[in-house]
Amino acid sequence: MALSRVDIKVKDGEFCVLLGPSGCGKSTLLNIIAGLIPQDQGTVLLDGQSVDSLAPRDRDIAMVFQSYALYPHMSVSQNLSFGLRMRGTPKPTIRESVQWVARLLGIEDLLDRKPRELSGGQRQRVAMGRALVRRPKLFLLDEPLSNLDARLRANVRLELKQMHHQIQGTMIYVTHDQVEAMTLGDKVVVMRDGKVHQIGPPEAIYSYPSNTFVATFIGSPEINLYRGMLVRKDGLPHFQGAGFSLNLGRLQIDLKEGEVEVGIRPEDIGTGQAESMDLRAKVEMISYVGSEKYIHARLGDEALTFCAPKDTALQPGNVVHVAVDPGRVHIFHKGRRI
Amino acid sequence: MVNRQSLLHQEARLAFWMLAPTFIVVMAFVVFPVIWNLWLSLKPVSLGALRGTSLFEFNLSLVNFHKVFGDPDFVPILLTTLFYTVGGSILSIILGLTAALLVHGEFPGRGLCRGLFIAPYIAPVVAVTFTWSFILDPQLGVLNWLAVNTGLLTQPIPFLSQRWMELDITGMRVRLPLALTSVILFEGWRYFPFAFLFILARLQSIPDELYHAASVDGASPFQRFYNITLPQLATVLSTLFLFRFIWTINKFDDIFLLTRGHAGTKVITIKIYDYAFGEFNIGAGSAVAMVLFAILLLFLFIYFRWIVKEMR
Amino acid sequence: MSREHLETNIIRILRILGIIFFIIIVAFPFYWMIVSSFKSLEELLMRPANLWLDIRKINFNAYYEVLFEHGFSRYIANSTYVSIITVALSVTLATVGGYAVTRLRFRGQAFMSYSILIIYMFPAIVLVIPLYVVFSHMGLRDSIHVLILVYLAQTLPVALYMLRSYFQTLPVEIEYAGLIDGCSRMGVIWRIIIPLSAPALASVALYTFMIAWNEFLFAFMFLDTPEKFTLSRGVVQLAGSVHLSKQLVMAASVMVTVPILVLFLFFERYLVRGLTSGAMKG
Repeated sequence: MALSRVDIKVKDGEFCVLLGPSGCGKSTLLNIIAGLIPQDQGTVLLDGQSVDSLAPRDRDIAMVFQSYALYPHMSVSQNLSFGLRMRGTPKPTIRESVQWVARLLGIEDLLDRKPRELSGGQRQRVAMGRALVRRPKLFLLDEPLSNLDARLRANVRLELKQMHHQIQGTMIYVTHDQVEAMTLGDKVVVMRDGKVHQIGPPEAIYSYPSNTFVATFIGSPEINLYRGMLVRKDGLPHFQGAGFSLNLGRLQIDLKEGEVEVGIRPEDIGTGQAESMDLRAKVEMISYVGSEKYIHARLGDEALTFCAPKDTALQPGNVVHVAVDPGRVHIFHKGRRI
Repeated sequence: MVNRQSLLHQEARLAFWMLAPTFIVVMAFVVFPVIWNLWLSLKPVSLGALRGTSLFEFNLSLVNFHKVFGDPDFVPILLTTLFYTVGGSILSIILGLTAALLVHGEFPGRGLCRGLFIAPYIAPVVAVTFTWSFILDPQLGVLNWLAVNTGLLTQPIPFLSQRWMELDITGMRVRLPLALTSVILFEGWRYFPFAFLFILARLQSIPDELYHAASVDGASPFQRFYNITLPQLATVLSTLFLFRFIWTINKFDDIFLLTRGHAGTKVITIKIYDYAFGEFNIGAGSAVAMVLFAILLLFLFIYFRWIVKEMR
Repeated sequence: MSREHLETNIIRILRILGIIFFIIIVAFPFYWMIVSSFKSLEELLMRPANLWLDIRKINFNAYYEVLFEHGFSRYIANSTYVSIITVALSVTLATVGGYAVTRLRFRGQAFMSYSILIIYMFPAIVLVIPLYVVFSHMGLRDSIHVLILVYLAQTLPVALYMLRSYFQTLPVEIEYAGLIDGCSRMGVIWRIIIPLSAPALASVALYTFMIAWNEFLFAFMFLDTPEKFTLSRGVVQLAGSVHLSKQLVMAASVMVTVPILVLFLFFERYLVRGLTSGAMKG
């Protein structure tokens, strides 16, 4: 998988998430940082020093793999102490560190078992432990939660965040799950097809996506995206979509008339009639997720999804008025602009 | 720029050291001899003059090939080789297939059978050839004595030392190449375990559901064999034939130890030996080796052509 | 009876007959080899058709003679030495070589992995002639150690190929974990690859031993002095010098064969057990 022109800076102690769909190159990038794959161009700098000629074991890093990659023929404690043993750490220190890590992760009573005797969640902890025990400068995590079942994943996610605060290590974390990215990351790097699309803190990525890919990738339910024309009526910008028109009123837009894409997040849409807007949507289907309802409707010729409280009276077939705050509308013209 | 490459360089250097010994040994003892063979085939060299001749003198000539092609033995040897190779390969595959079909499926003692059946293949060649020579011996061998005692035969058959045997099959007089047939039978016996193991492995990977579906569709056991088992085995069988052909045509030990190439069993490899160490004509021996090569390449060419055609 | 029923029964009978047939043709020669080795020469000459062995008349003379009067105790030692060294070197070189071809990136990697098997297309007799010429010129002919090198050249390609196939099934990430944890590549091979490859290594060792132990042609052509003979060479020598005393040849044959059969029988169980219980996950 090729990467092109990736330029990322991670601060000391930061939790940086590489987010993107499968095959976008995030694991490749991680492997390059680790020194497992050489890069064709560019340098990897740790603490300002180039580590390109250093073998993985000399880079003071630790890695947690998606498949955990525990040594099957060694016990848990041997797995944990392996790195320390390789570096010639004195035995008492090894014992101490292993105990510390085991206590931290709650796996003390598993120390003598072999990996094949452990459950998925237990193996995941051992994998984390193996990385933690050496207290390296940099932690690399390659989708460590994706093999866990959903409920376990949420719990471990929380623990990870707590652990990060406790240890204050620098972490680079790879995932395709945007929820993980948003909850864990101090900084999120959105990638696709080997290119970086946007870097920033989660709020920035969510509220100010720099292009349509980022806008659609982040956010659940997905953003409503429409293609259409930007026209000026009475001096005011209007978005002409397929079968409906949006008065963008007070927005300052540099673009003269032309093709644009407009994105509106489901939670930015409300029911009710707003001044200067007359949008009517016909409800087609309702998804009930427990805490609220997602209303799937038809606006003009396009599909529209918005959120409603769980006790809403809406039914399929109803026609409702919807309103949008023009300030919350994302306008894209091959990039992003507002 | 240098730093960037050095990890890759380190890896490549390590790979070099890890592979160097293997590479050197194989080069020195396999590749160079082959190239050397080509060289020797084009030089008029005899074993006696070995110390004297300059090995590197560039006096190439085709005199060796003239001798080889002009030898009246040449065509008979080719035919014998072909007969032996094809016969031996096919026989070992048929026996292997039969054995695999018999052993496939659950029955008590199955593991034991599987272990037992590989014995002919793993036993040392000297042991099995001398044992079979002994068994088939016309004066001392148990087979002939038993056959004569029980009246099956009127006189002992020199299985490995007689060229032809006249047989009367339903009124037709057939001249059977006796020693050659015996050697082919030995070949089948010795190498069927190879085919057996591979076919068995393949048989066991055919999903049961195919057979179940066929049963439901109304196929009888024989029909199931013909329509499901055989097609699934097609690749294994043709690959086996490829390997057995190559290895049988290259075989020397078996025939040498059984008959020394007498009584009509002289195949190309034996002829090579005869030239080089019997007549002390190294050049001619190398030339025949080149002929063997050419035949092999021809076979491979035909085989892969045929495979490609079958694939379509 | 329905057609299915009839065919199934026919098959059952045929199957039993077939298995009996195969058992007989496979086992009989070995049976005969063993039984004949315990008979005296007179016994063989007088009652050549006697299929059985009288327990009371078991005769160890053949073994005694072969071992002590025909030098076989020496031959056994030689064969053992040659085979064990060949196995040790083969397994070592094939392990590191196989690892390099599987995991390391270098120019010619693809070439090495596939071309290695072309070696087996060449007939041994074709290799013998030039090697014979060269060795004679260099005075290297009558050497056990040169023989070992020749055997290595025969076994390494397949050993490397077998181990490469096996290594490809090991998850790379375990090695990555080892590299990050502080192992060099050799460390990874020693501490991670080898422990996880026990069944494959055993197969390679077994196969290499079989080739070295059973080998005839090169031993026949390259060894001249009897002290250096391997068992295969020795058996041929023996057979050539005694024409009637087949019991001696049979005893010698038993001695060459038994170690291999025992090894295979023993290891086949071990191998199967190893392969089925080695299910690694995670």
